[in-house]
Amino acid sequence: MRKFSFGKLLLSCLFICLASWVQAQSLQKIKGRITDSTGAPIAGASIQLKGKSKTVSSAQDGSFSINAPLQGVLRITAIGFTPKEISIVSNTELSITLLVNDRSMDEVVVTALGVKREKRNLTFSSQEIKAADIVKAQEPNLLNTMSGKVAGVQIASTSGAPGASSSIIIRGMTSITGDNQALIVLDGVPINNDETDGGGDGGAGNNRLADIDPAIVENINVLKGAAATALYGSAGARGVVLITTKSGSRSSKPVFTLSSSVSEETPNYAPRQYKYSLGTGGLYATGTGSGVMSTSWGALMDTLYINGVKAHVIKPDREFFQTGVTNNNTISVSGGNPLSSYFISYSYYDQKGTTPYTSNDRHSLFTKFYNQITPKLSVTSELTYSNNLDHLQNQGYGTTNPIMQVYPAPVSYDMKDYLNPDGTQRMYRNSRDNPYWLLHNVGNVSKVNRFLPVVNVVYTPLSWLSLTERIGADIYFDRFNGHVNTGSVAYSTGKLWSNTENFAQYNHDFIAQARKQFGKYNVSFLVGNNILAQHSGYTNAIGTGLARSGYYNMASSSATTYTESDYDKRKIGFYSQAEIDYQRFLVFSLSGRYDGSSVLKKEWYPYGSAAMGFIFSELLDGGIRNIMSFGKARISYAVVGNDNVDAYRNQTAYVQSTTGNLVWPYNGQNGFLLNSEEGNPNLKNELQKEFEVGLETKFFNNRIGLEASYYQRRTSNGLVDGASLAASTGYSSTTLNSAKINTNGLEVLLSGTPIRTKDISWDIVVNYSIFSNVVKEVAPGLDATEIGETYALKGKPYGMFYGNKYARDAKGNILVSSSGLPDIATDNGYLGTITPNWTGGITNEFHYKQFSFSFLIDTKQGGEMNNTDERYDMYYGSSKFTANRNPIVVKGVVDDGSGKANTTPVAAQTYYQTISNVLEAYMQKTSYVKLRNLSFSYAMNKAELSKMPFKEAIFTVTGRNLWIHHDAGFTGSDPESTNSYGVAQGNTGLYAYAPPTSKSIGVSVKLTF
Amino acid sequence: MRKLSIAFCLFLAAASLPGCKKFLDVNHDPNNLTDASEDLILSPVEETITAQIDGGTGSICINYWMQNMANNQPTPSDVSYVVTNQYFDDSWGWTYTTVLNNLHTMNAEALSNGNPGYAAIAKILTAYSLGYATDVWGDVPYTQAFQGTNKLTPVYDPQESIYKTIQSLLDSAITEASAGTGKAPGSDDFFYAGDMAKWTKLAYSLKARYYMHLTKAPGYDATAQSNLALQALANGMTTYADDCSFAYAGSTTSSAKWYWNFYNQTTATLCSTYVDSLKSRNDPRIAQICNTAANTGLYTGITIGTTGNLFDFSTGGLFYCNTNSNGYVFSADEALFLKAEATFRVSGASAASPIYRTAITNNFLKLGIDTNSTAAQAYLTARGALTDANALQRIIEEKTTANWFSNENWVDWRRTGYPKLTVLPSSVGAAVSEIPRRFLYPQNELTSNPQSIQNAKITDRVWWDAQ
Repeated sequence: MRKFSFGKLLLSCLFICLASWVQAQSLQKIKGRITDSTGAPIAGASIQLKGKSKTVSSAQDGSFSINAPLQGVLRITAIGFTPKEISIVSNTELSITLLVNDRSMDEVVVTALGVKREKRNLTFSSQEIKAADIVKAQEPNLLNTMSGKVAGVQIASTSGAPGASSSIIIRGMTSITGDNQALIVLDGVPINNDETDGGGDGGAGNNRLADIDPAIVENINVLKGAAATALYGSAGARGVVLITTKSGSRSSKPVFTLSSSVSEETPNYAPRQYKYSLGTGGLYATGTGSGVMSTSWGALMDTLYINGVKAHVIKPDREFFQTGVTNNNTISVSGGNPLSSYFISYSYYDQKGTTPYTSNDRHSLFTKFYNQITPKLSVTSELTYSNNLDHLQNQGYGTTNPIMQVYPAPVSYDMKDYLNPDGTQRMYRNSRDNPYWLLHNVGNVSKVNRFLPVVNVVYTPLSWLSLTERIGADIYFDRFNGHVNTGSVAYSTGKLWSNTENFAQYNHDFIAQARKQFGKYNVSFLVGNNILAQHSGYTNAIGTGLARSGYYNMASSSATTYTESDYDKRKIGFYSQAEIDYQRFLVFSLSGRYDGSSVLKKEWYPYGSAAMGFIFSELLDGGIRNIMSFGKARISYAVVGNDNVDAYRNQTAYVQSTTGNLVWPYNGQNGFLLNSEEGNPNLKNELQKEFEVGLETKFFNNRIGLEASYYQRRTSNGLVDGASLAASTGYSSTTLNSAKINTNGLEVLLSGTPIRTKDISWDIVVNYSIFSNVVKEVAPGLDATEIGETYALKGKPYGMFYGNKYARDAKGNILVSSSGLPDIATDNGYLGTITPNWTGGITNEFHYKQFSFSFLIDTKQGGEMNNTDERYDMYYGSSKFTANRNPIVVKGVVDDGSGKANTTPVAAQTYYQTISNVLEAYMQKTSYVKLRNLSFSYAMNKAELSKMPFKEAIFTVTGRNLWIHHDAGFTGSDPESTNSYGVAQGNTGLYAYAPPTSKSIGVSVKLTF
Repeated sequence: MRKLSIAFCLFLAAASLPGCKKFLDVNHDPNNLTDASEDLILSPVEETITAQIDGGTGSICINYWMQNMANNQPTPSDVSYVVTNQYFDDSWGWTYTTVLNNLHTMNAEALSNGNPGYAAIAKILTAYSLGYATDVWGDVPYTQAFQGTNKLTPVYDPQESIYKTIQSLLDSAITEASAGTGKAPGSDDFFYAGDMAKWTKLAYSLKARYYMHLTKAPGYDATAQSNLALQALANGMTTYADDCSFAYAGSTTSSAKWYWNFYNQTTATLCSTYVDSLKSRNDPRIAQICNTAANTGLYTGITIGTTGNLFDFSTGGLFYCNTNSNGYVFSADEALFLKAEATFRVSGASAASPIYRTAITNNFLKLGIDTNSTAAQAYLTARGALTDANALQRIIEEKTTANWFSNENWVDWRRTGYPKLTVLPSSVGAAVSEIPRRFLYPQNELTSNPQSIQNAKITDRVWWDAQ
């Protein structure tokens, strides 16, 4: 037998092993380039040797280079794209195309500071609105495009005037008197959304977000809780609306888009009586000579003959308002190549209001250029320019507001003939101007020029490190002129207002961000610095005594007073955030920020947040995965410091004296008195602590989605700017630092696609939000403070109404006197709150081949307001309730202690004129259900388009505000407009003579070349 | 490389921190004064007293209730005693935050700067304004007031101690007014142009007024108070040249407050009670203190509870209600009638009669009435002499006419029952069954400084208004 050489076998095995090992260890440099389906390069994609921990990232031009063995698999992943695995091929430059994954789970959203994160990794609540939905809303004010769509967000427009301001409150009120509006951020730069230019004699103005053209918006992401906004610091504590504008696409021929729309608006008339004439005690009054009077308690029009002729009913409101018309035209071009792209858009929007001589015109120009200067350096520069021209009437309870003269006007007198032969005003009553005279002799104009430049420089020196420098500014010039001509009852010699505002805000962010994969951990870390400087300068001139009727330049006035003021507010912040993603199913996020603010005494304050997300669906096996395709639970706790107080509140200054009848300096003598607002030299930041848990799930391959968030927010050391003090302290207000407000809430978003076939699809989204917003404390020793129209009362919901009410017995029955009139309680009391119970909305979209149909219904339930229109309508006899003039037996018990039911009738006029002094009688509920938007559209198909020069043509018919269901007791135009004097906290809850909102129907066409 | 980048960033941050502090140091108000000298404060305080204490919402309410004024609106309303706590926020606010708080500061400033003239004026005006507050609201805060957030809930001092405070303020003022040192007021003093002798006369006259308020106060004796008053009046005002008033230029930006109170937008008019009493007495001053109705040319007041065409009714006359009328704060008329009343109480009607007659003629002269005219002489014959039976009634009635629309008229009515007024009937919507005797406490205090006494009703009586 031959000897078997075991050693030789071993040696050859070893050799073979060695050979293969050597071969395995012999690495080659694999190069490649990653692009998307349009050919545009994908930067920051992650290329990993499958099974190993080594990863590299692709550069700005999509290229990468990795040391890999001769055989193996590369796994390529990128945010927003479906992961791809390819086998390694030696000596070849790999060309890899990734497909966009637009099925939500791997969706990318823009979060705080412009940082893009995958939606699946978010550890807080946010909701996105896409460009298509923004356009569908057909609303000129960007805030109104979000109405009814976002859970937990309340948007209310102040009136139906063109360009009227809207307020946006996210998750309830966190400040008693300060700003509760959300922060607006445009492409990473915070922008101003102040309300400016109310009428000279009152009324809400525009909020400056109205300068932004909705056509340039790619999407809006609403960040709701403190965890989402912690990186924004103070300003973001009230929620952030992140607006991302459109960009050009990098690899396409220029695409031209032309869209045009026109719509008609008809006012939502408030109901009133048209049955009874001018007069009192049931007798007709002529409105001239001795028949001059203010009330409509006269005769029944049906049976009334005046000088032998049958009386003719005139409807003062219907004759006064006109049909409004809105036009909106946009042209834009976008395109680019792999190294640069551009997007340019110009819009002209003009709206004629339903009140005559009111209008709003806006020119908007937007340009955005992206350039890749070197493979590692890119620059985006954009400029928004907006020119906004607004013509408006005075609003609110004031005698120069024409609407205030129209609503209570009689139906037996024609006011359109407003001049007597001698040139004086012709009016049915004394002490008020004729509304038609007001239209021709009173007006306000505001012109705003606004510039919003943003320059964004991104430098990636290493594949895992990117440095961003972003500089943005918000600069606007606002000029306002108002006039009242001579001959007004309010200002017999006329009055002029001339105001200017210069506003400039500069924002700089420097962010260094590192992203690296360590085995199963994907780590992202950023650190940054922010500087924000704000300056506003105002001049105000008031002139009285015009030299000649109709001459409205300030030179015309015989006495001019001029004031000017400047305000500076600055902030610096240092921030950092770390996010660790383990195997794509566990996410942990930490952030911290250190802020300095110029308006506080203790200038510097730190805060931060910690959050976790657990995508438990990754751990489920196949069977359950078919039902629940995605499931995530998240929990977060955040503390945000806030400096929500105006500049200069730290001192009590002497202010130039102003009294109504005397202007200082007088007779060469100047006058200064202590500011009635006491300064607080010890201001420190308020703190908001928020705990949030949330669940996000998708079922049946994303056909059904359910998101829910529950949050608890605690504001402490709350800054109360203008907290009212007892006047005996010598001051009427001060800035307190002690308020506590608690908000607990639940937000639910349910989406579903009941039908999805090649030709038909049906999507529904339902949002629901319920919250409680309670003032826990105002200040030690101070249980209540006035907000304005309402009060903040310890232990009660935010915004309580206080005033007189009916006297009631222990069982709650109204006590009625022997005259049949209800008794008024001797003590005033708290009567209801402005805070609603819950809000919700349903959006429905059907598509059938080229047709689509959608509608949005939203609702707000609960909450009340002071309907001042109704108060005076009851007194004057124009209220809808006064259509029934039979004697009234008040439902209640006699006040003699017997407990017997009241049977004594009282004359209608006496009854309504008495109760018009009782707040309880004209408080009304603001609940509503609105069909806010209804639209049909038709998109031409390929066959039809082939005959046309367009690539895309869509025709749409849209109806807005077509139907409002309100509480039976509500007698105004629209229960959404409960802040007729503007969006400031003090005005919330008052409904007073604002232009009515409108129903609107319009058509639009969009063409793409 | 990475370590270097991080280190560099931290270094940048550290180096820029001191720069950061300076960058944030911008919270200094460039728009207003951080402190104002006494002259800058005095002028606007004087005008506020004239317009808001002697012509503000409180005054209008008093004149409604005294049936001097009415308005062309149906009742029930404030004219028929329907008022709420909020209704009085305005008057209380002006009195405390604008007038008293600034006087408090001006007094402190004057004392520390060594300007006794300004300190004297501050005390006199404080006594005057505090007197208004306590006469309409009873117990009011003073000793703990004006401390801002250092005392959020000032206690309400009893009215008796407020009265003692008023007298001691006036005594201190009288001493300081004669000191003659320091900066003296001049054109900034719209009342007296810095004439400290006139200020002293005002102080003494005010002392007399506040002595006489206590004629029926518990524990006080009318005769003793009258004697104190006569002592003070020996140095008090004697003619209308001593009147304390504010002169309005009459331009669109400087018109008298009483012009605005009757401006047609307010629909305010004179009350029939007032106009009819002037007509029934053939008062020669009627043309100066009443306007004829624009439509009829007659003197007509509104009967409360009825309405008509606004221009069928009379408004306040051109002497007091023109754009350039003076706003009267304290008139010599009052000092003269106080003297008449005090003399009557001490020495009887015959001693008081000539003083009373002089008081009436002083008012005629002030209004530009020729005392030798037939109308004036007839009036003096009919009403110019006192008997023991009618003395108090006549004195107060004439005082009320001369002390035109003053808040003091309500004090006199509460104190003496004159002029005789009939409470409005419930058929015109009267909220209570007797004419009110005090204001409600303001809502602002009820909310931010709750005290148990704040549930006082308008029919309750202040301390000196004993039954």
